[in-house]
Amino acid sequence: MLFLLDNGAHSIKVGHDHEPSVFQNAIVRSKGDKETYYGHEIPLCRDRSSLHYRLPCEKGYVVDWDAQKAIWDGMFLQLLKADVSESSVLITEPYFNLPQIQRIYDQFVFEEYGFQSYYRCTPASLIPHGSLFTAPHKTPEGDAPSPPECMLVVDSGFSFTHVVPLISGSIVWNAVKRIDIGGKLLTNHLKELVSYRQWNMMDQTYIMDDVKEACCYVSTVFKADMELSRVERSRNPIILQYLLPDFSLNRPGELLGPNQVVKDASWQILEMNNERFTVPELLFTPSDIGLEQVGLAQAIAHSISLLPEELHGMFWGNIGLIGGNTKFPGFVPRLMSELRSLASVDYEIAIYQSPDPITEAYRSAHQFVTSSPSVYAQRYAVTREDYFEIGSDMTRKRWKGPYSDVPLRVDSRFKE
Amino acid sequence: MAPRRSQPVRQAQASSKPLDPALIARRAKKHLDELERSNCTEVDVDPDQADGTAESSGRRGRGAARQTLISDKRPSVHPNKKSTMNIRTALLYKKNLATLIEESGILNLPSSTPSYLSAVVPPPKEPPRLFCSVCGYWGKYKCMKCALPFCSHGCEVNHEETQCEKRVVY
Repeated sequence: MLFLLDNGAHSIKVGHDHEPSVFQNAIVRSKGDKETYYGHEIPLCRDRSSLHYRLPCEKGYVVDWDAQKAIWDGMFLQLLKADVSESSVLITEPYFNLPQIQRIYDQFVFEEYGFQSYYRCTPASLIPHGSLFTAPHKTPEGDAPSPPECMLVVDSGFSFTHVVPLISGSIVWNAVKRIDIGGKLLTNHLKELVSYRQWNMMDQTYIMDDVKEACCYVSTVFKADMELSRVERSRNPIILQYLLPDFSLNRPGELLGPNQVVKDASWQILEMNNERFTVPELLFTPSDIGLEQVGLAQAIAHSISLLPEELHGMFWGNIGLIGGNTKFPGFVPRLMSELRSLASVDYEIAIYQSPDPITEAYRSAHQFVTSSPSVYAQRYAVTREDYFEIGSDMTRKRWKGPYSDVPLRVDSRFKE
Repeated sequence: MAPRRSQPVRQAQASSKPLDPALIARRAKKHLDELERSNCTEVDVDPDQADGTAESSGRRGRGAARQTLISDKRPSVHPNKKSTMNIRTALLYKKNLATLIEESGILNLPSSTPSYLSAVVPPPKEPPRLFCSVCGYWGKYKCMKCALPFCSHGCEVNHEETQCEKRVVY
């Protein structure tokens, strides 16, 4: 069996057919029941107040292999019930993954788990195999047209946001650009704002993630929304009320309707006003929190400016969005209006949105390995035999990452 | 007479002189680091001054061999197989990203080679917008003591009572 593992810093998307299991790439400890939950077990956790998180990734890169192994072990053994030595695996890695981290991926796949064969790549490199750019134009006969030669994938996830241009399915690494704004920072920023202004939510990552997803949006008229958020409550169209959960009563958090009254006056309500749009705004204006980086629209324009000029029009016309942050309402119209003012009038701009941007890379991977299994096996996958014969360096050579020519430093203990 | 008069004036200026931009930049940097935390109660001690007490679950690599691995306590995919030396090394010696970047050699790459370091987007040309540190509205004024912006007298009072100088601890 061929397993597909989109190993995100926030959530793991894993499976072998067209829909993945999705769960957090984390180990959480609940203060309520004093239990520890690993990865796929997290949904079993009832009391989600004051969870302590241990994340395998730091800024998107796997650094805590002890935690990652604990999550992967449970996933392969209990969730997938995989016979790993009889299976193959495709794993995603972050953009510009460091060579010595890549080597640990390889070691885990072959030395620890003993998979038959394996392919490691970035999420954006899978998108040309999927239907992000082709789905809306499906012909009545049902055969989808081939994806565009040039495309620009925006991957805005938990740790950061990348702009990734691809020509004929290959990433153009010198034009890949990163903004250090991701979902983790947005939630933490929101936590800080409401903790100062209303309730102390600094320890409530789980709840604030939900509040962020329920209430936040990208403003298309930032200045006007800012003024509206100052209007008195009865005429203020921005304010939303979120009823905070009570895990001891098994009552989940929920967004309240405009005139909805809660049953019990002692229930805690969080009011979301300008926090609703100033938080996702950071994706477009990172300097709002003192991060000296341009926003997403300018990052896209900058990336395109580094590409061959005769192709610029193709990139402007094929922008695809993946990653959880692209789900904020208003994201596409805002991006479109900013891009329009940055691109030359001669270029048409088209933005492709995924119906499920979190699993888009997974589903593309599935299409990739099922549409032409022999090409996948021969051109991409590396076998266990090859690995033990030639070693990890060959995976780097074969898969041509941005550092494939960089000599890998040998650990000091081997030097001695 | 003249020198004596200028003395207090100069002092008054000194006390209200804007904060050193380097200090403000450091505060912003510290704030950005805080926004990367997985748990807000995490104690982020300087690695050089760490006395080990703040580190519980193996946050850092060196001398980590003493700690127990959580993955060892979990059901393993191959229960009877011993992990290879490479795997044990990866599990036991956790390094933070900054160390890994340093060790990876990408710092020595020519600037034309794309890497994690070169991929970051450039800084913006426009000056940053300022927001009231209390209510989030436009921050038209800045606190004389800590340079955090505020929007109105009401927020200024709030800022002074609840916020000011709390975050000027570097």
